[in-house]
Amino acid sequence: MKPAAFAYHRPASLEEALSLLAVHGAEARVLSGGQSLVPLMNMRILSPAVLIDINRCRELAYIRREGGMIACGALARQGEAEASGLVAATLPLLASALPHVGVRASRNFGTLCGSLAHADPLAELPSVAAALEARFVIASARGRREVGAEAFFVSALTNCIEPDEMLAEVRFPVAAAGARTAFLEVANRGHGFAVAGVAATLEVDAAGRCAGVRLAAMGAGDTTVRLAAAEALIEDEGLSAAAIAAAGEAARAAVEPTADVHASAEYRAGLIGVLVGRALRAMAAAGPR
Amino acid sequence: MREIEDFTLIGKTILRREDSYLLRGKAQFLDDLPEPRGLIHLAFVLSPHASAEILAIDTAAARALPGVIDVLTGEDLAADVPPYAPVIELAGYRGVARPVVARGRVRHVGEYVAVILAESPYAAQDALDLVGVEYEPLPAVATIADGLAPGAPVVHEALGDNVIFRTRFATEGFEARFAAGEVVLEEEFSLGRVTGVMIEPRGCMAWPDPIATGITLWTSTQIPHIVRTAIAEHLGMAEANLRVVTPAVGGGFGTKCHLYPDEILVVALARRYGRAVKWVQDRREDLLTNVHAREHVLRLRVAVGRDGVIAAADLDVRTNCGAYPNHPFSPTLEATAAVRMMPGPYRIRAYRYEAASVLTHTAPTGAYRGTGQPSAFLAIEGMMDRIGRRLGLDPAEVRRRNVVRPEDFPYVNVVGVRYDTGSYLPSLERGLEMIGYDAFRRAQPADRLVDGRYRGIGICNYTEVSGTGAPGWRVRGFARMPGFDSSRVVVEPDGRVAVYVSQADAGQGHFTTFAQIAADRLGVAWEDVTVIEGDTAKTPYGTGTFASRGSVVGGGSVIRGSAKVGEKIRRIAGYMLGCEPSRLALGGGRVFDRDDPGRGLTLREVAETAYSMNNLPLPQGEEHGLEATDYYDPPMVTMANGTHVVEVAVDPDDGRVEILRYAVVHDCGRVINPKIVAGQVHGATVQGIGEALMEEIVYDGGGQHLNASLLDYLIPTAMDAPDLALGHIETPSIDTVAGIKGAAEGGLTGAVPAIANAVGDALAGLGVSITRVPLRPSTIVGLIAAARAARAGAA
Repeated sequence: MKPAAFAYHRPASLEEALSLLAVHGAEARVLSGGQSLVPLMNMRILSPAVLIDINRCRELAYIRREGGMIACGALARQGEAEASGLVAATLPLLASALPHVGVRASRNFGTLCGSLAHADPLAELPSVAAALEARFVIASARGRREVGAEAFFVSALTNCIEPDEMLAEVRFPVAAAGARTAFLEVANRGHGFAVAGVAATLEVDAAGRCAGVRLAAMGAGDTTVRLAAAEALIEDEGLSAAAIAAAGEAARAAVEPTADVHASAEYRAGLIGVLVGRALRAMAAAGPR
Repeated sequence: MREIEDFTLIGKTILRREDSYLLRGKAQFLDDLPEPRGLIHLAFVLSPHASAEILAIDTAAARALPGVIDVLTGEDLAADVPPYAPVIELAGYRGVARPVVARGRVRHVGEYVAVILAESPYAAQDALDLVGVEYEPLPAVATIADGLAPGAPVVHEALGDNVIFRTRFATEGFEARFAAGEVVLEEEFSLGRVTGVMIEPRGCMAWPDPIATGITLWTSTQIPHIVRTAIAEHLGMAEANLRVVTPAVGGGFGTKCHLYPDEILVVALARRYGRAVKWVQDRREDLLTNVHAREHVLRLRVAVGRDGVIAAADLDVRTNCGAYPNHPFSPTLEATAAVRMMPGPYRIRAYRYEAASVLTHTAPTGAYRGTGQPSAFLAIEGMMDRIGRRLGLDPAEVRRRNVVRPEDFPYVNVVGVRYDTGSYLPSLERGLEMIGYDAFRRAQPADRLVDGRYRGIGICNYTEVSGTGAPGWRVRGFARMPGFDSSRVVVEPDGRVAVYVSQADAGQGHFTTFAQIAADRLGVAWEDVTVIEGDTAKTPYGTGTFASRGSVVGGGSVIRGSAKVGEKIRRIAGYMLGCEPSRLALGGGRVFDRDDPGRGLTLREVAETAYSMNNLPLPQGEEHGLEATDYYDPPMVTMANGTHVVEVAVDPDDGRVEILRYAVVHDCGRVINPKIVAGQVHGATVQGIGEALMEEIVYDGGGQHLNASLLDYLIPTAMDAPDLALGHIETPSIDTVAGIKGAAEGGLTGAVPAIANAVGDALAGLGVSITRVPLRPSTIVGLIAAARAARAGAA
């Protein structure tokens, strides 16, 4: 449990961090909350030669509204988002998922961007980002680019960030006034990593028609997976019991999870179907906010 | 032992004195100890193969690394450190030795292949990747079935096959008694492989005395005296030149009551290099190399009368013992435990058993909280429910009809174990009452479905072997298990008390309870008693802390040692006061005339005489000093007991088991400190919940260990702990000092079968039979799907 030797840099600004990345990028890792990176280094699963600690880059420590978006800087802690009135009011799905992320102690230091960049297919935040169609702001000394979840999450523990880049910000669209959301996961014990989960959001109009149906599954494969067939079913047929059952079945059929020591692939697929059904029923039962 | 009645502190809750430093993070665990100058840090190259020949080891690159002192292989160490083996004197056991560092052959993933000696733990870790080992992989066996298969690869060629231990037993006329039963039921039960996860992994540091030949070994162990004897004998050292000290030990659970190769090696290397040598285990090494437990298969066959009374029982137990025998217990431990303990609280008079321990290419298994008993009771308690279902009897009623009744005590069970006292029937009735059993059964729908989930209740009646003395260990062949423990009780010159106990606390609260006992017996303030443990140079010899023996044997010895020194106090005080010692009583820090309490002396005044600090003479023939040493060897065992009753809801869609209500009735005889006993029950029960619902070490068929991290080996946390309703029954032993029985394992032993039975009860209507733990959500969904498919196929 001793990391390999590494050079340590502690820039005071994003600009300085990006210029360090421009030089060391290929052999560097960005340290924000360190809740995944540091254990991986201690276990020598990762041995970066250079660590760029952005904890002094205070300009990245924000959660703020910018028009129709909530922008969260690279130093926005999960615990801060959990306690944020702004998040509670504008991002109900994120707010309901955060208590499932790690444990309170890890959320105190772990960041939203760090968890997203870690790209663990069993983590909660990637599915929340996928369901909310979040935008990922990736910065380098060369400039900035913005991508969506599908481009951002490449495979398990792999994102689309180039060696000289870092995730500077994640932007979530403010939930529509009538949005209903649900976040559900099942684990083999009361806390810690889930076996599978579902993040869901939709809007229901006065006539009972559904719009903006977005369902994302965790534990469904290499990355978080949008359940397009199930989404289309609900948009077409609404939240009838039959449509919900069909959507659950469509979700089960659409995912290709892997087996591990925690669960079989078959169980995971079935569970995602069950959780889609539960999420839709919960949203059907809930009134508009 | 004279009956003791006049307790003042024994039986009262006193808050644990150790919590003031444990809970504030001030305790000094192994890795917190100050490091001596010139310390050598060790790291081990671990085998990535379950079974392989070591063709070559290239250490040149590692040796060349700055900060690396040496790299040693099994060949380099062979002359200094021979293989070691437990000493077992039991028919059917065929011993093999375990190398401290592998030579020629590796037999499980994680086996030590080479050791790095470095100036810092970082350099040691860096060097690990530079050691090149060339292996020729060989076929491996990981499971009991594979190990027993014809033509299976043999783990130790010298043995010819993989059965390292086999034992059989049958009562006279067994076949006839079995044949007389009206109904025969048979079931195979099994338990996944688990391990006793301590918050603090192991570690050790050997520190040579620069001016003498002695070495001090600091090690995170439950058995300092056994470790000292074994290492000194193994390395040819004078035992007096080895001192074994335990720092604060962050949990043991049995995992730390074994002698491990690294403990031998740090001492050997400290001698070789004349420098202090330290090794600290990480979590991956913990899960790869510390003893595992369970992985038992139990086939139980019972012949029963139509009234549900068991006429005869036939048990076949197989255990996976891994690649090497552990020291000091060997693979006989769990096998003999399971078969000897299965009769438990029930009147089973015709019994046959066979047990076998099977070598495989996996980590050695050994002692873990409950040893054999969770397995034994999973089988017999699971069978109680099956008898009920077969005969249309309530499962609680089946137990009532079979249990050893109050009038049967003292009772000698079918394998010769004496149950001195117990409360089996009252405990069962109390547990049922606490959970509202009859009301639950009346309200339980036929399909057991309530709000989309299946509801069931599970019961486990258990006995708990505790306080095992020398006869109990000998009958099972453990030649290096002393059985006794000891204490030295000293009234110091200032009149305060020091108690030196042969045991080693790993979080149980000895510093509180033993002080409580000595204060009670000597009539001094609890605050004025200091307890010293875990140091072979300070404490008299003993067995250690495991198998629910601390309070029975250590506590018993403190009572006896206190009584002995109390006699001396009375003799000296009587002489000083000019009265008969028999007139004197102890209390309030004084010794006084019981008929004239104003006439007396403080303990300090007596101590000043004993230590020649005044001009007063001692009685004729009395020696100076004011202390006594006591060695207490308890009876074969003393049997605690209890009952778990648990209600669960099982979600058929996601497979989750929710514990709705949980009642534990426990009876550990005379209670010393109720809160500490409650803590033992709570902690063990939660560990049992882990074993029942989530914990399992997974090897693939080739012997690769698939979950050597706490991300993948799940232990329960506070989030999984239900509210426990505790019922206390206190039935003192008539065989042990003060009637004390053990309390540390029953929680786990009761929880595993109770939860399995509750899930089985909930799903009985679906045709699901629960025979194996852990019961993870995916397992449950799979069982339900299979049962539905079977019914659909049958229809």
